[in-house]
Amino acid sequence: MNPLKNVSVIRKLVQLGAFLLLVYGSTLGTFYLADKLSGALPALSCAFDMNGADICALIPFQHQMDHRLGPVISAGGEILQGLLPTLITLGTFLLFFVVLNKAFCGWICPLGTFQELLQIAGQKLGLRRSESLAPGVVQRMRPVKWAILGLLVFGFPLLTGLGYLNHDLGDPYCRICPSRLLTTLANGDSSELVVDTASTTTLILSLIADFLFGLMVALALTLRQPFCRVCPMLALHAVFRKLGLLRLVKQASPRCGKCGFCAKACPMDIREIHTEMEQRDVTFEDCTLCGRCVEFCPDRGVLQLKYAGLPLFRADSHYFKQRKKAQGAWEKGNLRALLAAKKPRRESGS
Amino acid sequence: MISFNCRPATWLFSLLLFAATGPAPAGAQTGVPAGTEANKPPVPAMQHGRGPKKLALSNAEGALVTLWKPDLSRRELVPKMGMVSIPPTGVDNYHAVVVERDWCNVREAIVRYEYLRGKPSGESPGKLAAAIKTPLEIVPDPIPREHHRYYARAEAGFIVRYRDRVLPGHPVELTTSNGTSLHGISDGDGRVVLRIPDDFPDMVPGERDRRSAELSIATEYQTGGVRYQSALTAAYRVSPEHWQSQGWGLAVAGVGFAFGGLLSGRLSRDRKGGAK
Repeated sequence: MNPLKNVSVIRKLVQLGAFLLLVYGSTLGTFYLADKLSGALPALSCAFDMNGADICALIPFQHQMDHRLGPVISAGGEILQGLLPTLITLGTFLLFFVVLNKAFCGWICPLGTFQELLQIAGQKLGLRRSESLAPGVVQRMRPVKWAILGLLVFGFPLLTGLGYLNHDLGDPYCRICPSRLLTTLANGDSSELVVDTASTTTLILSLIADFLFGLMVALALTLRQPFCRVCPMLALHAVFRKLGLLRLVKQASPRCGKCGFCAKACPMDIREIHTEMEQRDVTFEDCTLCGRCVEFCPDRGVLQLKYAGLPLFRADSHYFKQRKKAQGAWEKGNLRALLAAKKPRRESGS
Repeated sequence: MISFNCRPATWLFSLLLFAATGPAPAGAQTGVPAGTEANKPPVPAMQHGRGPKKLALSNAEGALVTLWKPDLSRRELVPKMGMVSIPPTGVDNYHAVVVERDWCNVREAIVRYEYLRGKPSGESPGKLAAAIKTPLEIVPDPIPREHHRYYARAEAGFIVRYRDRVLPGHPVELTTSNGTSLHGISDGDGRVVLRIPDDFPDMVPGERDRRSAELSIATEYQTGGVRYQSALTAAYRVSPEHWQSQGWGLAVAGVGFAFGGLLSGRLSRDRKGGAK
């Protein structure tokens, strides 16, 4: 298969470009926050990375809860006045989000790209992979992202702003976000990978952050997108997904109940893509619009990526056959297979 | 089969909430380490207020004080009783306070960048740094990014500039209010990098210390019979390395990695078992 006709390859190239831009792109402007592209990007581009080209929307949200809304409420001021900066950030976020919808996760996010690269590394090392999680585990994990969004992005910072919690909980999500460690380490800055004994709060947050980063790296070698499943940005995207121009659309056919290739291909283990027979818009809350389900759907036109109602990429039996063959060839080449192939040769030689 | 257990997460959140509502150590609340209040000045907690800032200015007679806004518009400030009050400008980001005094053949200048809060300016601090504010100038390269500061132990870069040209091979001196003095010489690009001294007294290892002190980088240059003396002043803070351990950070990440490895192994065994 021509790699440039392979959607996964095209996506990887876009992801790598976005990674370079968002992690090292300060050369386009300068490293000051005022020079960032949006200041409210719908992807985990970290403000702790001094060389990044943009910062994610979760950072201003936390600061606005802590330094704006909380103090305004405490002082008995008008809530709308306190919410104004948050609404401006949300507006900026939506301007970007409408263009690509949840594809910011599947095509742009540096942390998502890093996990996919780790997964490729794990596959090439021949590590035993867990293709998908059990349905029960997936179901139980789904509320976690909402809890993190509610508590760490909005709840704790607001309580801090109201004066109930100490200032160390003003930006608790940033304190544990793996993207903070990834992007700073990618710039040769190890000052974020620390245990911080400044207070009990910072100690706990830094322990969680370091442990979570190590855990994510290990899991990503064998499991697809482990952190994405609990990422609060995914939850925020889910709230506004009906506004996005890019959608995953399904025209169910009677054969849909049988193969289930789409669900197997999904890196987020969304089995509903396979089982949903009524709904046309199947951009589910965990979907990252990566398009793998469309690639691996063998029936013409059943699954489609549509932009503003216009078909962008649709399932096709010919593409499916080529893509499956290419995937098989890709998976065959790994270190374990290479060593196994050499072993009998050595044995026969002796 | 692995099942996701919410209990550890609930426990962690409860612990975090408890830690955040509980009494913080004296150093964390007041910026002064416990037991050493007498010999250290109190430092205000995180300032996000929009009120006027005040700067002390000694020997200010005859000095011209100018406030530069991020968009490079200017206004004159009048020192009173040795104090310069920087009024709120309603604009966020760095502003520059430039103090100049002309003694015929000696021209003195002090530049200081102050972060004021307000509506987003939409201007890059790089624009303010690049503007020629006084003939001889020590320009931060870069100014610490918004919400950041100069920290002890960290390297900081400066450019020595006379009007629109840089001064290569030019000596500068960094002095701190804690009594340290360092010397440096600018390179071919007029840039000098200095490591800010870790000179705060009575540090308690492992405890957060929010004290700040003043640093000044000074230089002089003679041309056309006029001697120019210029200084850049700024605040710097105790290095967080005193209460942050990278070794432990790496170790905890290692524990996470090992745990992830075990979990991966179990997951993959479960899948294999389930497939039978």
